[in-house]
Amino acid sequence: MHDERREEDLTAYALGELDGESRTAVEAILVGSADARREVEEVRATADRLREAFASVPHQALTPEQRAAVEAEAERGAEPRPKRPWSVAAALAAGVAASLVAIVVAFAPLLRSARPPVPAQFQTNAEPPITPPPVAHGVTIVPREDFEKLKALGYIDGTIYGFDETVRDPSAALNTETYDHIRDNAFVLVAQDPRSTFSVDVDTASYSIVRRYLRDGQLPPKDAVRVEELINYFPYDYEPPSGAVPFAVHMETAACPWSPDHRLVRIGLKGREVPRGERPPSNLVFLIDVSGSMDAPNKLPLVKAALRLLVEQLQPEDRVAIAVYAGAQGLALPSTPATDKAAILSAIESLSPGGSTHGSAGIRLAYETAAASYIKGGVNRVILATDGDFNVGITSPGELVRLIEAEAKSGIFLTALGFGMGNLKDATLEKLADHGNGNYAYIDRLSEARKVFVEQIGGTLVTIAKDVKLQVEFNPAQVKAFRLIGYENRVLAHQDFNDDTRDAGDIGAGHTVTALYEIVPPGVNVAVPGVDPLKYQSTAAPRPGSAPGEMLTLKLRYKQPDSDHSARLDVAVEDSGRSFEEASPDFRFAAAVAAFGMTLRDSPYKGDASLRTIQEWAQNSLGQDEEGHRAELVTLIARAQQLSPNR
Amino acid sequence: MASSTSTRLEWIGSAIDLYQGRLIRFAARITGDVESARDVVQDTFLRLCREDVERVRDHLPAWLFRVCRNRALDVRKKEGPLQTLDDARALAREGPDADPHARLEKGDDARRVLAAIGTLPASRQEVLRLRFQEELSYKEISGVTGHSVGSVGFLIHDGIKKLRQRLSHDEPAGRPEGERPDA
Repeated sequence: MHDERREEDLTAYALGELDGESRTAVEAILVGSADARREVEEVRATADRLREAFASVPHQALTPEQRAAVEAEAERGAEPRPKRPWSVAAALAAGVAASLVAIVVAFAPLLRSARPPVPAQFQTNAEPPITPPPVAHGVTIVPREDFEKLKALGYIDGTIYGFDETVRDPSAALNTETYDHIRDNAFVLVAQDPRSTFSVDVDTASYSIVRRYLRDGQLPPKDAVRVEELINYFPYDYEPPSGAVPFAVHMETAACPWSPDHRLVRIGLKGREVPRGERPPSNLVFLIDVSGSMDAPNKLPLVKAALRLLVEQLQPEDRVAIAVYAGAQGLALPSTPATDKAAILSAIESLSPGGSTHGSAGIRLAYETAAASYIKGGVNRVILATDGDFNVGITSPGELVRLIEAEAKSGIFLTALGFGMGNLKDATLEKLADHGNGNYAYIDRLSEARKVFVEQIGGTLVTIAKDVKLQVEFNPAQVKAFRLIGYENRVLAHQDFNDDTRDAGDIGAGHTVTALYEIVPPGVNVAVPGVDPLKYQSTAAPRPGSAPGEMLTLKLRYKQPDSDHSARLDVAVEDSGRSFEEASPDFRFAAAVAAFGMTLRDSPYKGDASLRTIQEWAQNSLGQDEEGHRAELVTLIARAQQLSPNR
Repeated sequence: MASSTSTRLEWIGSAIDLYQGRLIRFAARITGDVESARDVVQDTFLRLCREDVERVRDHLPAWLFRVCRNRALDVRKKEGPLQTLDDARALAREGPDADPHARLEKGDDARRVLAAIGTLPASRQEVLRLRFQEELSYKEISGVTGHSVGSVGFLIHDGIKKLRQRLSHDEPAGRPEGERPDA
């Protein structure tokens, strides 16, 4: 009986359920008993298998009708609160969810003060009667059909700004997510410019954002689709480096599947792996946004769950502090050794939302805290968790960026984690991470937190090379024109390549970075709009020493994480002449992801790709896929096909 | 606390985003089919709409799962005990966008574990699911099921123990002979 009780305690301990005295009691038993320690390990291993198994059971969602009914009820049951008259939310809740919407701007009183009742001919028995908005200031959004009717009735005499055809449902209308505009890289004639220069990017946020949209039954906004982040979300099976260079370079060429006349070149980088247990000691400062906008089940509670996962992965010599920011900033947990797990977990537990965001003061505090417990030769990192909605105080993004850039130089790096939906400021977070020697991931659910903090914790925490820049020089004898797929906001000026003061992306331990070039061979027509032929330049003859068969030379610059001086690496590649089917699974999968991204962006360069063929390419190149990430993409492509049968 | 930046509608919308899949999966285990599970979950969220947000905010998952469980049990009582949906079957026969081939690739161990869970008593299955599928704590599970925290601890411990026995039992049989020299 006594043993049974003790076993239950061991199980509870293994699952992190004990605290206080009962926890101390079990720890005392563990010190003296190898059997008990083994028992705890086995319970944890079984728990992991259970989680894996359960994670493979598919999810279902409510039907759109069911969801609409709940949302209508949510608005009806709302607590009384001051509401702007005829606000967006109210207008949409008035049962107009499925209609198109018009935006009207009023300069003078928008509506006549005398409001005649709506004549019967505008009311059908199926529809509720139209109630005109009582007052309107500034921008008013009403459904298009209501707008037409209201106008016919003489209610509206303001200036029409136009219809917003994209606003089709309440969630979209309330959505203030912002994405920077992306214009696809165009083809460049080698005769005009034989070089292409860009910075690596290991961010993956765009993939989880796209996934969230598709799962919710919507196509993502085009500008939320960053093709390189889609490609780099997936691990590839590239050999890790063996020598002194912190990463290995793997290039491969084959036919381009969406434009059979074109060739595709894949550049693959693989960062040195840091085995579990050999990770240098880490000094982590969590900076948690606890402002009012984080008060949603998929924000702060998910942040807490994600942090608990990370805490489980810590090693005894690591340290953790927690800073929060909202109306005021403060330290929720001073720097604490990872061995005091109970204190860390209870500080995480006690975080609660309230106030509005004042991002820069919190960031300053986080960096000061990190500097105070700086570990020389270790990992020093601020981990920011927010929806990015910095809306109070010094919010000039420029000022924030400068602050973060300065701190990155002192050896404290940044990880930005985006949470939630509705007002995610994607562009702000990406910028912060870029300037803070950092990475940016978007956490939409616990399994994504698991990928970032458990599967790939080395890559998330340990930087093995920083300011990694690539410059490709194309051989005009083999290449007529080229196009870099994705990396639109990572393109650098050619002269920045050798300029060590110019910041660029970083590679984490074990990270893979993949870039694709679409190549137009000589003799194949390519439309390059707006470029006249040069009058005085002749095609450069290949220099002596370069092999005529070479397609391109890749030049890389990188710095060791603690150095200010870059090293350089050159690698040339010849075209293999292979067909797409003969290429490696990694190559074919990356091409499928690129084509999927281009299709979602409705890119002019997507060629013959259709979602159906892309799904086949992905399906046939799953490889090992131990974590099931590639299989997930296949289901997402299928989902996109349902939403957009013509693509 | 009810901040102006996060309206009630948004709050409930994100609760749906985060929990609908988990609740439907959980309810389907009780009702036996996904369609009635969807109805149960819709009812659960309708109840949430009528609830004072301040009262449920701090224990939202436990609240949702408790309401959902009670509702699902009502439905099962009314419509008679249907065959329960087991995960292994759900895995094999899923939504329209699922790809059976992809699932096959990664589902091997998962399939074995799920089959083993299916042989456990219903009380163990339920708590294991709440703990490891829904990541609820002992205390939250106690709130959902009405068992005391101590009983939850026992049921989980016993469930894991039985599961380990069953898995270690069929493991050697599932592998070619000689691959595992230990007996």
